[in-house]
Amino acid sequence: MAEPDRPTTASAAVVGLSKNFGAVRALKDVTVEFRAGMVTALLGENGAGKSTLIRLCSGELQPSSGRLLIEGRETIIPNPLAATKHGIAVVHQEPQLVAPMTVAENIFLARLGSRAAMEGHSRGVLVREARRLLVEIELADAFKDLNASSASLSAAERQLVEIARALAASPKVLFLDEPNSSLTRRETDRLFRIMSILRKKGVAVVLVSHRLGEVYEVADRIVVMRDGQKVGEGSADGLPKREAIMLMAGERLSQAASAEGSQARTAEASGRPVVSVRGASGVAFSNVDIEIHAGEIVGMAGLVGSGRTEIVRAVIGADPLLSGRIELNGRPVRIASPRNAVRRGISFISEERRTSVFYGHDIAFNLTSNVLDRFGRLGFFNQRSRMRFAQQRADSAGVVAPGVSTPMRALSGGNQQKVLLARALASDPSLVILDEPTRGVDVRTKAEMYKLIRDLAHVRGLAVWFISSEIEEILHLADRIVVVRQGRIVDNLTRGPRAAQIVASALGEKVDDATALLAG
Amino acid sequence: MRLGKLAGVSALKGQELGLVAVIIVLAVGFSFFNPDFLSADNFRNVLVAVAVVGIMAIGQCFVIIAKEIDLSVGSVMGLSGLCGAYAMAAGLNPVLGVIVALAVGMLAGLVNGLIVVYGRVDSFIVTLGMLSVARGLTYVISGGLPILISPSVMFLGQGQVFGVPVQVLIFFGLVVAGQIILKRSVLGQRVVAVGDNDEAARLSGIPLGSTRLTVFVFSGLAAAIAGLVYTAQVSVAEAQAGAGLELDVIAAVVIGGASLSGGRGSIIGAMLGAYLLGALRNAFILLALSPFLQQMSVGLVIVAAALFDQFRQGNFHYAAPTWLSFRRQ
Repeated sequence: MAEPDRPTTASAAVVGLSKNFGAVRALKDVTVEFRAGMVTALLGENGAGKSTLIRLCSGELQPSSGRLLIEGRETIIPNPLAATKHGIAVVHQEPQLVAPMTVAENIFLARLGSRAAMEGHSRGVLVREARRLLVEIELADAFKDLNASSASLSAAERQLVEIARALAASPKVLFLDEPNSSLTRRETDRLFRIMSILRKKGVAVVLVSHRLGEVYEVADRIVVMRDGQKVGEGSADGLPKREAIMLMAGERLSQAASAEGSQARTAEASGRPVVSVRGASGVAFSNVDIEIHAGEIVGMAGLVGSGRTEIVRAVIGADPLLSGRIELNGRPVRIASPRNAVRRGISFISEERRTSVFYGHDIAFNLTSNVLDRFGRLGFFNQRSRMRFAQQRADSAGVVAPGVSTPMRALSGGNQQKVLLARALASDPSLVILDEPTRGVDVRTKAEMYKLIRDLAHVRGLAVWFISSEIEEILHLADRIVVVRQGRIVDNLTRGPRAAQIVASALGEKVDDATALLAG
Repeated sequence: MRLGKLAGVSALKGQELGLVAVIIVLAVGFSFFNPDFLSADNFRNVLVAVAVVGIMAIGQCFVIIAKEIDLSVGSVMGLSGLCGAYAMAAGLNPVLGVIVALAVGMLAGLVNGLIVVYGRVDSFIVTLGMLSVARGLTYVISGGLPILISPSVMFLGQGQVFGVPVQVLIFFGLVVAGQIILKRSVLGQRVVAVGDNDEAARLSGIPLGSTRLTVFVFSGLAAAIAGLVYTAQVSVAEAQAGAGLELDVIAAVVIGGASLSGGRGSIIGAMLGAYLLGALRNAFILLALSPFLQQMSVGLVIVAAALFDQFRQGNFHYAAPTWLSFRRQ
């Protein structure tokens, strides 16, 4: 499928690029151009090869065969530092910041790589330059204090720092890998404004995202990948969304919002709530009242930073509850630690995979990490029972992998998320709390997870409480919606068109689109 | 999802196999210079020599897997051996004397652990402090004079069972127990989880505090057992017993494949690491090489083992120049 050699002046291009990991062919003979002044969207399900392509272009990996061209010249990029010198920058899906350093220092982290750049490295200078950079990309008000440590930044702020850092090097080619998975509408709009600014400056922007609606708002060209190959390419008008989805999946696939395939509801929401929170106040929220009943799915909507994660962390005992009461099945309890919460039948999946996944170990280890005592006695366990249990549970969660001894690092984001869900269910909880359960997960896996989550509540009768910043997700999945703004509950509604409008306005979405979303 | 096997053996077994290969190569190589090296007697000598460090390496392995470190093992070894001897010299039943020694070691470990967990002080600092405090206590209690131990306990360091020295049996027994605890007990797997990602461990319901406390107590206990064995071996408890051994202990654990950034390690690896260090020293003696060369070579082995570990993990492609193609990624 290699295209004939022809001269190209694109900012970056790959010709006949292939990458093998042992017997696995992650990328097969891919030829793509990323042109200056254009936003190219790279679409594809997890495992399609998008991340591999980016890693090859940014020097993290070396190709098995094929060529990399920068402005028409064949180039070898041996490592990421060389990539920056060639004008290539990457914004990663999971932001990696140096926690003890300030926001400004993290933005200009690359300066630590060169003595010349270190001069003038005083904090004051860095803050000034950071502010200048942020003003250029209209992010000046995104951070309260550029001199503050990065340790306490929210997931969205971390993502914004990562973006600023990539731009600090004035790149000619910018790869964005799921950049807005931690951002809500307002911040995503900001990101898109940055992308138009870059486009005007002649930067080649490459966007990888699963949020097709947003992608189509901003992309000029669409490139679709599947199974390591390029299967489609065209302008955003020439390759409409439905066609792109079909190309990605290789077959007719109904939209992720479809309710096909999920079983009929057999468990009705019960009368008495599984968990009841009264007058709870913590560091980032006050006077919160929430009830979750068995068999119902409650979605918590709100802007990033509104305090949703903080509320949930206090309920599971990860953070202290300053005042208020928590009742489980009618009885008041004090949940002092996450261990306590798990014991009492509450499971939690955190928003960021980096605080949930044991990266040095396999699926079985990650899945059974908190239920080992049930595979034996006297503190010891039977390895075979553990593996069998892990296999069963991974199968019912639909994890795609050669076996439960597969290292977690080898799994896609969507599969990792499924393993985490299986871990949460392993302790047979009565309440499952999910913080952004489909963040960075592809369309097909999202649909599978929605089915799983719905079955948990409607068939198995669990109480499900989830946090999401995606309006489609909330409207589609939740039986009841709780809206949080600035640490307070401002609305509590059952699903329906009125809910759609309220949630939309809470998230800063365009209100007239909301009802259309609910219908489609 | 079909049940399948990963191609090849797991990552850590690779390190253990590598060590066995190196040990065999060294043994064969050195035997050309001095055939005594491969004799059964010499093999036994090496095992006896490494038993003390090896026993402590078992406890240290748990600590390092938990992403902590225990620098106090050498001093705690001396302190517990001395306390046991003191108790016995004061008229206590030898069995109770042994119990006193073990209790002292566990108590020192507990103190380390409490300050790390509740004082939130880095374990490097805490155990560095304990290193001095324990050694000082040893001098205070002994007044600087050696204490003879009861003859009935001497078999621990000088006896044999079916031709195998007792301390070697104790060492092997603890290796087996340690490996089983690490791989097949809830506690062992918790230690691994805490070392790999402590925030993930906490949020998924694993008790961080008690898991961390336990690894320090294990390390103290292992140091106490090593102290008893050593004291029995030399028949007296001396104030400077164990001085400087902590570095050998940590080296053995790291050579065995444990990472100082936690989450990885094996007791069998630590045992092989201890053996390799001992075999090297032994080889140098048999070859009549200068003791200074010996010291250098130990340092080189430690670094080489760490480099080998990184290579196995596939972490070298950044450093490699482009003309050197690494197929592995």
